[in-house]
Amino acid sequence: MSVRRSYTAVVERNVLWDRDFATEPYEAAWASEAIFFVRALEVSPEFSGIARVQISADGIHWVDEGTTFELPWEVNAVTFGRVRHFGGWLRIVGGVQSRREIRALVSLALKE
Amino acid sequence: MNVYQTDPRLNKFDPLERIIFYDDFDEGIRGWSELIGNYEHTLDSMLPEYSDMRPPMLSNLTMWDTGTAGSMEGDYALKVASRGREGSLATSIKRVTFRRRGQIQLECYFTFKPEASELRLSVNDVRAFGVLFDLQDGMNPEYRWMPHLRYLNAEGDQMINRWQMKSATRAFSKIGDSGETVSHFHLGPEHWEYVDAPVQTLAYNEIATKMNWHYLRINVDLAERRFLGFQCNDLIYDGDPLKYISIPAMPNLNCMLNTAFWVETNRDKRAFLYLDSVLLSGEF
Repeated sequence: MSVRRSYTAVVERNVLWDRDFATEPYEAAWASEAIFFVRALEVSPEFSGIARVQISADGIHWVDEGTTFELPWEVNAVTFGRVRHFGGWLRIVGGVQSRREIRALVSLALKE
Repeated sequence: MNVYQTDPRLNKFDPLERIIFYDDFDEGIRGWSELIGNYEHTLDSMLPEYSDMRPPMLSNLTMWDTGTAGSMEGDYALKVASRGREGSLATSIKRVTFRRRGQIQLECYFTFKPEASELRLSVNDVRAFGVLFDLQDGMNPEYRWMPHLRYLNAEGDQMINRWQMKSATRAFSKIGDSGETVSHFHLGPEHWEYVDAPVQTLAYNEIATKMNWHYLRINVDLAERRFLGFQCNDLIYDGDPLKYISIPAMPNLNCMLNTAFWVETNRDKRAFLYLDSVLLSGEF
């Protein structure tokens, strides 16, 4: 029996987002499905924010894939964005309203 | 004819008598993970240098101008990628233990490049890459010892193209409040010494989207705790003059045989180290 390969990369760990943000490019051409999980380690009161999934042909030039999801608004809350058919590179981008911040852990779960 | 001569994947290696691991990254990530520092209670307790050593990834070496190159043998290579911030360092590690304190030999095929985000030569945009072992004796251990080799490609605008070794690490720091956890950062810019050998210029090949694969072999003796030598492409380096970090044995690391690769960027631009395949062999 062969099983499908899978891999989870922690693409950001304990990162502080208090303005526009973008995660580091991650290569995943081998995978056919992906989920970005975002967990709040610390978060300001009344925080809200949106993340957008972006794709790229070269890891340098990026375009919105169309998937968006809310960022978590309380400690240890988790939100996610799910994508398929994304080509070679993945990242998430977004913005945080002024005087608010989140310290986040971002995991990218990939599966063949 | 032995299997090393008949298997085209192994034929390009010269392993010792038994293989501890052979990782062809067409098969997946194969145990290579991000290096992280020790912590207690909160990630904030980690030494800051260890907080962001970046997860490795499987790359098919796709370039914006020429598309996919694939790896040296197959489609995928392990890619270690720094951030696009001068001095950023990314490290990937594989952790095993040894069965016998004999000789071990690491071989790999690697290449390194800056991110192709500018249309210029970029030959000095990667500062360095390196490989290290983190080792500790088995029963009744006396020492933890850490042979490091670093290829200093460039520093500032100056090309260096020389191998370095390291014989000292930073002081240990207590982590958290339990008294059980300590940490030390051994990949800082201090304490590097040049290996007494001429410049070894590795083929860069003119633009950032062309990669040539290189061979590297490193031999150490676990029983005698010393380098036996190393080879990069056509140059062979003697082991006797090579220094390494040595510290008293630690409580829970017996028989540790960790191997790590890292890459450092010289600019506000990502630096990439790619490994086509890695083979660790030994006497056991």
